[in-house]
Amino acid sequence: MLGRLNIAGLAGDGGEQWPEQDVSVNAFDCYRELANVAMGQAADLLARLLDVFVVLPVPNVNLFDPGELSMALSAATRSGSGAAVCQGYMSPGIAGEALLIFNDTSIPNLARLMKYRGELDESAKSELLLDTGNILIGACLKGIADQLDTRFSQGHPTVLGQHRDIDALVENSKARGSRTLAIEICYTIEDYDISCDLLLLFTEDSMTSLNEKMAPLINA
Amino acid sequence: MPTSILICDDSSMARKQIARALDPAWGVEVMFAKDGAEGLSMLRKARPALMLLDLTMPVMDGFDVLKAMAAEGLDIPVVVISGDIQPDARRRVKALGALEFIKNRSTASF
Repeated sequence: MLGRLNIAGLAGDGGEQWPEQDVSVNAFDCYRELANVAMGQAADLLARLLDVFVVLPVPNVNLFDPGELSMALSAATRSGSGAAVCQGYMSPGIAGEALLIFNDTSIPNLARLMKYRGELDESAKSELLLDTGNILIGACLKGIADQLDTRFSQGHPTVLGQHRDIDALVENSKARGSRTLAIEICYTIEDYDISCDLLLLFTEDSMTSLNEKMAPLINA
Repeated sequence: MPTSILICDDSSMARKQIARALDPAWGVEVMFAKDGAEGLSMLRKARPALMLLDLTMPVMDGFDVLKAMAAEGLDIPVVVISGDIQPDARRRVKALGALEFIKNRSTASF
């Protein structure tokens, strides 16, 4: 979703660009590769658990200014366009928030896939979102943590709009005027018409630690 | 003429890591492609002895490269190296003619 907004010119493209040579490596490329391996592990878990095939995209990496992030997020989570789960995480020097956004049509299909019976009321919907969020966010974060040789402490997942408001999420970074590193992964589940956007938002300060931990990988 | 190997991966980091994993003593000539379409056109032109292929790539993904190779009868051995470690991904690339599948589990383990 942010990828689409990106095209509309809301977000800068990667922020910092290094000259691309055949074997040169930049930090954004490294974040993308980090996400690539982590999303594969999360997809593998989901595929085995639910007996589906997950179509994996090329992850998007962006550095958002405070205003851009809030515009992009409110557009992506505007009422009617779906539902979202968020979950905070932190490890020494790294802090962030994971956001999993489903469009409305995906939710009944998700219920079918997860073998939910009965009426899909608000509470059943929340449970469904939280269950799926737990699997995908947890697996993806673990994949990233393993590669960085660290561990994330995770907060409770919450359904946005029900438990928490999107504005509250971006308020902090807005107040500090700091930027946000966003890794975006659009998962699609084959044959079920389910697609969701997983956003891993890292505070700008986290990039120092991330880069330090990735240095052996970049300079290897 | 030295043996040539084509590394097809959209990540410059992965290209570098894979290239480093090839022993310089083998004296192979390494070529790089940044997406599937570029990889495919290099296969046609340079006819490398082996291609190391990623799956998730922009423009044209690894599955489509394998399909196109089969359709064109490009008989070049392919080893897939991917973070997409779903059992079905492995089954699919093997069914499409890939020689082997190597899991890119962790960037640190290369």
